[in-house]
Amino acid sequence: MRVALLVAVAVSSVAVTAARAAERPAVVVTSGKEQQFGVALQKFGGNFDAEAYREGMAAALEFSSLFRLIDRKAFLGPTTTEVLSDRADVNCTEWSTIGADVFVEGVQRVEQDQFVAEFAVWDLAGCQSKLNRRYRQASSADPLILAKRMADDIVEVLTGARGVASTELTFVSKRGGNPEIFVMDADGGNQRAATANGSINNFPSWSPSGDSIIYTSYRTENRPLLYISTRGQGKPGRILAPLSSKPLYRAVFHPSGRELAVVMSPSDSTEIYRVDLAGKNPRRLTQNRAIDVSPSWSPDGSKLAFVSDRSGSPQIYLMDSDGANVKRLTFNGNYNTNPAWSPDGRWIAYQGRVGGQFDIWLIDPEGNVNLPLISHPRSDESPCWSPDSRKIAFSSTRRGSADIYVIDSSGDHLQRLTRSQGDDTSPSWGPYPR
Amino acid sequence: MTGTEELFIQLGELRRQELRRLIAFSAAAHLVVVVAFCFTPESKISLPRGVVSVELVSLPAAARPAPSAPVAKPEPPKPVPPKPVPPAPKKVVLPAEPTTPKVKPKVVKPAVVEKPAPTPAPAENLEDVLAQFREESGEEAPPTEIAKAAPAAIGTPGSPTGVAISPEVAAWIKRAKIHVRKNWVVPPGFRTQALEARVEVNLDASGAVRGNPRITQPSGNPWYDEGVVRAIQKSSPLPAPPEAGKWNFVFLPEDSY
Repeated sequence: MRVALLVAVAVSSVAVTAARAAERPAVVVTSGKEQQFGVALQKFGGNFDAEAYREGMAAALEFSSLFRLIDRKAFLGPTTTEVLSDRADVNCTEWSTIGADVFVEGVQRVEQDQFVAEFAVWDLAGCQSKLNRRYRQASSADPLILAKRMADDIVEVLTGARGVASTELTFVSKRGGNPEIFVMDADGGNQRAATANGSINNFPSWSPSGDSIIYTSYRTENRPLLYISTRGQGKPGRILAPLSSKPLYRAVFHPSGRELAVVMSPSDSTEIYRVDLAGKNPRRLTQNRAIDVSPSWSPDGSKLAFVSDRSGSPQIYLMDSDGANVKRLTFNGNYNTNPAWSPDGRWIAYQGRVGGQFDIWLIDPEGNVNLPLISHPRSDESPCWSPDSRKIAFSSTRRGSADIYVIDSSGDHLQRLTRSQGDDTSPSWGPYPR
Repeated sequence: MTGTEELFIQLGELRRQELRRLIAFSAAAHLVVVVAFCFTPESKISLPRGVVSVELVSLPAAARPAPSAPVAKPEPPKPVPPKPVPPAPKKVVLPAEPTTPKVKPKVVKPAVVEKPAPTPAPAENLEDVLAQFREESGEEAPPTEIAKAAPAAIGTPGSPTGVAISPEVAAWIKRAKIHVRKNWVVPPGFRTQALEARVEVNLDASGAVRGNPRITQPSGNPWYDEGVVRAIQKSSPLPAPPEAGKWNFVFLPEDSY
């Protein structure tokens, strides 16, 4: 009897506790000011210039805007990796104590003619190994390529989308006098000319594979035609030969890489066409007397954003990939142009004129939310998205001549990528390297 | 200028330069171009990254969704009290325009865009700063503050049973929120998405987290959920709760729209 009573009391007290837990109000946590992951990055062990490698990796991590590097002076453990840790070796509490969320260690060596780098990423809150990966490349290649690649991997481990430090941008630069096509790393490093023809070159745009850049050039016949420069090949290829009796102003690849949206003037009007890479089967998508330009594909290739002045002023429109269902998207201001559809499909960035200058705006494809990303007394133009949709590059005259800048899609972390004397304009962000 | 003419500035830089070029350069100039073409390192996009081979030495945990773009939770059903206006990214002041997305004016037109003016600190932030200051100095919030803060801190209007929440619980909720948010890293790409995760946390009397936090309502984005668990783990010990046991936490990005 006594036992039964005790059991009854115990059961009821458990029930009461459970009920009370369910009753408790939830703690609603909203994101406050921006926080970053603290990362403790060891110098990689091995026989090579590990200091430069660590700096390159640190810079690439910081470029993601997600990390702050923990000063090595604060490390309680070793600052250099001797060998990669087993789970039992990693003192997660110790690393957490100095403010780290992530611990990164690595080793490297040269094997025959290959540079081999292996690294490991530890999530300190749960004391879990998140990644252990080995890369190899020709020992003659720049080790910093792997440093950036590893940093991008770490971003992916924590967010599900790879970082973009190892991607590239192409742009137009007049630093040598005339506009030529240039290429640079996403952080602005390693700027180099892709064309040097002394003519007028404009509107560079990457192929989805990242192997080629398509652009408009006056290099032959003194009129605008489209060319493709391909990595490792000396001469550009002229394309769309069957269409070349017409001026071809600009082209962008379909996300499949198999066809193009092309702006050309069949007669007086300027229209958008869809055409395969051989220049065959052109399909006219826009049908009116207005100027239709600046096409940008949705990431799935089913729609296009473009600019038309059919309403009297240039505005952003959307249409299906066959030209049907044209819908005006922007109604704010009297000059909106250069739409760029984000790779995740959620936004269309564009340049809109407010007051005397252009600013970069974001609008969703439904047209429900339209907001300025950046507002500055000088003009910001030609936005393009990083492949992870977290950054936007654009050109700006805020320091006199135009330069390329990059900013997070949240509007934070503005960085200037180019500092040349001549104008740098019309950026296009390349895909992830393979 | 008409719109048409202006538009030509965009595509037409080419055209105008073409004209200038025609006038400026003679056939001789073309010859120079041809010569230059022959001798310049034309179109060599140096490709240093040629061969990179990857070996996955080990990957912990079970298979993940393909590492593509973060999975966004399907937008539509969100009849949550509408956030008036998407917070403007720095430097810009957006006018408050409390329209729900469904309602007519398709495009939210910011009436005024003020230039670099600093964004005025919203009252909420100020309150947080004060609360944080109090937390750090060990000072209790004044009772009026608690009474006011309680309903705001609680996701649902009133407790399920209709029993009023005690000032003690309300004050703890506020402190717990401030404590946890300091340890929560929300990547920029997630901040603007409508992600919401609910997690059950077992706290002992001192506020230490017992066992692993359990996601009871996933957001649809595994990395977001992982970040939520990480935030809780990192926050241990939390401020001592009014009662030991299981508490629910809901994580919402502030800027979601």
